[in-house]
Amino acid sequence: MNNWRHSALAQGLIRCHDCGALWPLQQEHTHCPRCQAMLHARTPDSLKRTWALLLTATLLLLPANLLPIMRVTTLGQGEPSTIFGGVLQLAHHGLWGIAFVVLAASILIPVGKIIALCALLLAIQRGWTTNMQQKMVMFRVVHWIGRWSMLDIFVVGILVALVQFGNLAYIDGQAGAIAFAGVVIFTMLAAGTLDTRLIWDRHLQENPRGS
Amino acid sequence: MSTLAPDTRIACHECDLLLSRPEISGDQVVYCPRCGSRLISSHPNSVERSLALAIAGLILLLPANLFPVLSLEVLGRHQQQTIFSSAMALYEDSLPLVSLCILLFAILVPCTKFLLLAYLSLALHLRRRWPGLPLAMRALHHLDEWSMLEVYLISVLVSVVKLVDIAEVHPGLGLYSLGALILITALSSSQMDEDLFWHQIDDLSSATGNTAGKGVRHE
Repeated sequence: MNNWRHSALAQGLIRCHDCGALWPLQQEHTHCPRCQAMLHARTPDSLKRTWALLLTATLLLLPANLLPIMRVTTLGQGEPSTIFGGVLQLAHHGLWGIAFVVLAASILIPVGKIIALCALLLAIQRGWTTNMQQKMVMFRVVHWIGRWSMLDIFVVGILVALVQFGNLAYIDGQAGAIAFAGVVIFTMLAAGTLDTRLIWDRHLQENPRGS
Repeated sequence: MSTLAPDTRIACHECDLLLSRPEISGDQVVYCPRCGSRLISSHPNSVERSLALAIAGLILLLPANLFPVLSLEVLGRHQQQTIFSSAMALYEDSLPLVSLCILLFAILVPCTKFLLLAYLSLALHLRRRWPGLPLAMRALHHLDEWSMLEVYLISVLVSVVKLVDIAEVHPGLGLYSLGALILITALSSSQMDEDLFWHQIDDLSSATGNTAGKGVRHE
């Protein structure tokens, strides 16, 4: 089982990415007869695409954190609020639990996700073939948790829709929100284009007997 | 259409381990013995349960979107908010891309997912070969992670905490519907057996003269 020969590709079979049907290798680059998706042995240009998406997300992290995501105007006094500013404000009011949730969703998860995906990419390219189970757990966590970063974007939407009291108080959205939504979407796409089977291919070829 | 049949074995989508298809009946989950990913999760009456949950979801979508999620009261002035209005507010603030994010992930994707699931499970339940079943399955598979209703619910709670010092916040009927909708979404994704759905679609197409893969699984 822990052998390259037990992989479908080594047996001359391709798994359809969309419907899971197995087809002979000769049918690569044709459409799956069952669901019409294009058949590929491994996600095409998986590493290049994932690096490109990660680079985009990393660049967007700067404006996402430096630019304000919303502005709170009370009695004509405007106060721009960045993501980290929002966390500090919650902590300042003694709401540590919620402050931690927002900190985790908006800063720790996006940054951690980018670092984790870089580590997985390096593991594939440099051929680090140890701790296979941990790598898979890391990938699954990254894949599952990514969507939670959208939290702050939704909060901005809700606050902007609710706090509209003319001269008394109003909140409007700012450009930082675009960059932050970009970070979330690009890291989610990056996790989607990373083909985890590549992590295993190298490992199995180098360790023919057991992991 | 090809007359080729796919191999009867299965391969892990995360590590490509080739396995012979296990005997599956009732409530069973098949994990990959090499990398531990979930390969097949089978449930009795998966099609009928999916149909029921999809209908429940479609019904709940209406109050969740039509009734206000939160309302705010400041010095006698009321302001209400629905999911759609939180998207439109950002559109008016000249942030159309962010507004599109909310529109897609909190309204259109969840709605499309329930419509697709209802269409698929109804077709399989009635054993009718309606058009576009494979396409609907693929769409459902790809849309899965982009439905973010539960994230929206947590955002509502964070907003309440942020606003509670400033003004009186009242939860609306939309909030409760949203909570119920999230429960239905979680149940429907756990009850839907993709592998079984694909095999039943195969059976339907082979019954009408097309032999794209004989189904190995039956309920």
